[in-house]
Amino acid sequence: MALRWSRMSPQFALTPAVVITLVAFVGSIVWTIYVSFTTSKAFATYGIDFADWARQYERLFKDKGWTIALKNMLVLGVGSFLAIVFGFILAAMIDREKRGEGFFRTVFLYPLAVSLIVTGVAWRWMFNPSFGLQGALHSIGLTWISFDWLSKPETAMYGIILASVWQGAGFYMALMLSGLKSINTEIWSAARLDGVSFWRLYAEIIIPMMKFTFLTCAILLSLGVVKAYDIVVAMTNGGPGQATWVPGYFTINAYWVKSNLAYASAAAVLMLVITGLIFLPLVLLTAWRERSRTA
Amino acid sequence: MSMVMQSGEALVDSAPRFPRKRKGISGRSIAILVFLSICAAFFMVPLYVIITTSFKTMEQIREGAIFSLPSPITIEPWINAWDNACSGIRCEGLKVGFWNSVAILLPSLALSMILSSVTGYALALWNVRWAGTFLFVLFICAFVPFQIIMIPLIILSSGLKVYGTIWGIAIIHAVLSMPFLTLVFRNYYKGIPQEIMSAAMMDSGSFWRIFGEIIVPMSGNIFIVVLILQVTSIWNDFLLGLTFGGLGTQPMSVVLANVVITTTGEAAYNENMAAALLTAIPPLVIYFVLGKFFVQGITAGAIKG
Repeated sequence: MALRWSRMSPQFALTPAVVITLVAFVGSIVWTIYVSFTTSKAFATYGIDFADWARQYERLFKDKGWTIALKNMLVLGVGSFLAIVFGFILAAMIDREKRGEGFFRTVFLYPLAVSLIVTGVAWRWMFNPSFGLQGALHSIGLTWISFDWLSKPETAMYGIILASVWQGAGFYMALMLSGLKSINTEIWSAARLDGVSFWRLYAEIIIPMMKFTFLTCAILLSLGVVKAYDIVVAMTNGGPGQATWVPGYFTINAYWVKSNLAYASAAAVLMLVITGLIFLPLVLLTAWRERSRTA
Repeated sequence: MSMVMQSGEALVDSAPRFPRKRKGISGRSIAILVFLSICAAFFMVPLYVIITTSFKTMEQIREGAIFSLPSPITIEPWINAWDNACSGIRCEGLKVGFWNSVAILLPSLALSMILSSVTGYALALWNVRWAGTFLFVLFICAFVPFQIIMIPLIILSSGLKVYGTIWGIAIIHAVLSMPFLTLVFRNYYKGIPQEIMSAAMMDSGSFWRIFGEIIVPMSGNIFIVVLILQVTSIWNDFLLGLTFGGLGTQPMSVVLANVVITTTGEAAYNENMAAALLTAIPPLVIYFVLGKFFVQGITAGAIKG
């Protein structure tokens, strides 16, 4: 009897996790997908008009706010890739020049301990048109520099990108650094012996060897870009106008401000679809790694 | 000197056509150190600016020199930010948010650690037939955007009468972090040798006894890593606190955002900066004191995927 109880214990211990997964994740996702086909407004209604089942999605693609949000997501994605490039350069430099490694790592990584809200608040202050960096630069005669990016619709996204890169570059540096450290030290000396130039060593040997690390970084970054919300709220709160709307902001706005449950759900479903498209390579990557590890 | 250079020098000795490496600092090293220092300055500038601004008077801020040192130094912005800064119509400062964040943090830490470590242990070391499928589902759950589950969770938590309460936010944190933390624990426990488990089972150890007497004492390191990861992510969270916090139960980051956005007349920049620093201090202290574990935590999930 004791043995049987013991055999059932793992299943028993897993019950809370299974219930959470089925209710809070799987069930909730299915619910949201279903509701996105209804005409729910402030409260959920469950009737679907089958003649016009995709109405929320059709509306979404006619909505200027959603188009802006998607475009900004792409801009943010492309811009944030600087964080990976920057992170790799920093990691490579630290790895080559071991002096001060601890100090530089600490400095480059600390923004990660700071929340995106604090990051946004700090950068918002630096972008202040009259008292921020622009004022300081103008007062020393550099009046041709404009640094009030957040107050102009054309440049506001770049301000958000700069703050995101500041916050996130250290993370990619840490990942790249552990990737670089796992490279066999003999490669460095072998390359030196063969007289391979500094640039060719990185371009043709090191970077190809780190393709897994780069791919992981790229996927993690993309997933973060789809989710971006906090930094936008703290820096511009979507403004000026709708200039810095992103999908996450759009969805939450549709629910809390427009009180349109079905519309918000449709936007959330599209966010899930985008996540899935990014996620697919990650699943394949994991499978590929498993295979190359066992092979 | 570095490993690379040592091995390089050893090879140079056996290959005499290469010039011997000069002692001292090379030109390239200087260039790299200069570049890294400039980057370090870029990373430090915002911290410098918010610290100095938080000690300035508004008169000095209006002069527009953002890089100047505060003179006279005033701690009034800090007192105001803590005690009576306005968030919406309430002017109670960040202290309410601070204690809310603490009250959210403690139960959700306990809940998520217990839940995830037991789940990870069961999946890693016991024969559960559907473990592979379940892990795959958890892996996907760990990455779904919050918005796709937000509305049902609001409806569910209202139904359970925890919406807008400290406990509601704490439970939601534990629930939403479960997939990722379970994967972290499971990866760690997978490394425990099977012999230890077989020996323990032969000894007629039950599921819970093995967990309490063998596994937990072996997991000191992973507990610290996950604890730090959770403390910083719960403390820094904004979206969950905003969604599930009610009036008076909002965590510190939500109060901070409200304080900064709420402006009547001229914004009190010094107070805003003091408020931002007050919010950032707990995770920063953890980072500077326990940096090693912090880095392990943030890279754990990424590398093992």
